[in-house]
Amino acid sequence: MSTELGLAIRRKSATPASATGIRRDTVEIAKLVDIDLCIGCKACEVACKEWNNLPAETTSNFGSYQSHEDLTASTWDLMRFNEVDLDNGDLAWLIRKDSCLHCDDPGCLAACPAPGAIVQYTNGIVNFDQTKCIGCQYCVSGCPFDIPRFDQKTKKVYKCTLCVDRVSASLEPACVKSCPTGAIKFGGKKEMVEVALGKVDKLKGRGFDHAMLYDPSGVGGLHMMYVVPRGDRLEDYGLPKDPQVPGTFFSALSVLRKLGSISVWGGLLATGIFWLRTGRRRPPAEDEAVAEAMRLGEEYGRRPDGDLPPPATEPAGYGVAGGPAANGGPAGHGDGGEEER
Amino acid sequence: MSTVDAGAAAGFADPGVPVIAPEAQRTMVRYTFGERVIHWWVGLTFVALMVSGFALGYPRAYFLSGLFGGGQTMRFLHPWIGVAFTLGILAMVIVWVKDMKLTADDKDWVGRLRSYTRRGHTGIDTGRYNAGQKGYFWYVVVFGLVLFLTGLPIWGGALGGAAMIHHVARFLHHAAFLLMVGGFIIHVYMSTVMFPGTMSAMTSGRVTRAWAAWHHPRWFREEEHRRAGAPR
Repeated sequence: MSTELGLAIRRKSATPASATGIRRDTVEIAKLVDIDLCIGCKACEVACKEWNNLPAETTSNFGSYQSHEDLTASTWDLMRFNEVDLDNGDLAWLIRKDSCLHCDDPGCLAACPAPGAIVQYTNGIVNFDQTKCIGCQYCVSGCPFDIPRFDQKTKKVYKCTLCVDRVSASLEPACVKSCPTGAIKFGGKKEMVEVALGKVDKLKGRGFDHAMLYDPSGVGGLHMMYVVPRGDRLEDYGLPKDPQVPGTFFSALSVLRKLGSISVWGGLLATGIFWLRTGRRRPPAEDEAVAEAMRLGEEYGRRPDGDLPPPATEPAGYGVAGGPAANGGPAGHGDGGEEER
Repeated sequence: MSTVDAGAAAGFADPGVPVIAPEAQRTMVRYTFGERVIHWWVGLTFVALMVSGFALGYPRAYFLSGLFGGGQTMRFLHPWIGVAFTLGILAMVIVWVKDMKLTADDKDWVGRLRSYTRRGHTGIDTGRYNAGQKGYFWYVVVFGLVLFLTGLPIWGGALGGAAMIHHVARFLHHAAFLLMVGGFIIHVYMSTVMFPGTMSAMTSGRVTRAWAAWHHPRWFREEEHRRAGAPR
């Protein structure tokens, strides 16, 4: 789960200038899920639980062949059994392996405020480090695929690691290893894209006119891609048509952050300069201050308790240089009449 | 009568301005014990929120999370301190709202802002609060409530809500936070450095009569009148 074994890091959450950038392109890995070959056996689910030592959960029949209703903090891989009525009256079972898609431009990582809690390796794996997770769940809203799950007991967030421990030891992920039909493939990203496009052509030849490779650019591409036979029904598979990193939001927040740093430091600096330039404003001696207070009371025509508003007509006996009428209004009078400290 | 003036005693005297020994100055009550408790309740919860807010909003300031026992503890505490802060804001409204109503004099005060910042005196018959103080009070109330309301969707769990609401709330929470930090810097500067004699109002609760008569003449006369026991 939280390992950095032998893998080079591409970037870390909330870590300024964490991209090292000096390396040439390293080999990116990818899983490819060929939905056409999937028979819904759930071997990958079991393999995921076994390899990662995840506890089993009590499940219940909710009217589907699906094992669990949803992903949880300890169920990182779930076969979703989508039953769909087709236009010609046939029934289609659009079974999809649902787990983290390891976006190349991960919304979770961009949303995370805890330094290093989300790590992206140069090979494309996006991993959570629970030792650094603070449990804010910002990643949950940053993910366009609704993958991360918050655990109420540990107050931390979990998801598929793409078997980072196995991959770093040159092994294929557990789900890939367990798949009996070869529906889940594993290899270099470029190689997997080629395999996928070949399969898409075959499907088109078989009459699946809308067959497609699911590798959306809105999230920079994926490190778990799908070959989707019925590409015109992405929503029925539970796949968003055009998933996006909430980019507008993150750039707006980043602008606000820069503005914030500048104005807080600038504000402190300006306050310091203001102090040096203008100094402090001490009240005069008590006699003088009290005399001014009494003078103002008279000028404003206050009653002795000071509480009442000035009368509608100008009271007689102001006797103050400058006079009240200069600026109009009950309180108006020129600056010239003021006492200076 | 006890005489305390932290500001004048702080030793920041400007050359050429005679400083009267604090002991020699007569003082009067500016804030009751209850008012001071509310002020510091809001002030200390705000400082805790501001420091943890910097840690949460700025990766370079994340080291401040150590002050709260680490990131996860800080993330747990921040919303609850926010609740305490909001309760303080509500108490502030209950206690001070009657003094914070805007009047015609406040408009004149804004017109003399220049005179106020330059000379520290406007020549307006100011009551218990001048327009600047009233303005900051309402500023804190409004943005304090904005911070509370925008904090709810990002608290998480059942309050989580849709992703878009979360993003918008997070942005507004950050913006309101920055506005509050700006106000806070000015507030602290004015009440400690800029106007000597102000700080004691919130520590001992007392200010010198000179301070009161100079900065809040109408309030000064009211208090004097009340103390003399004359019918209102």
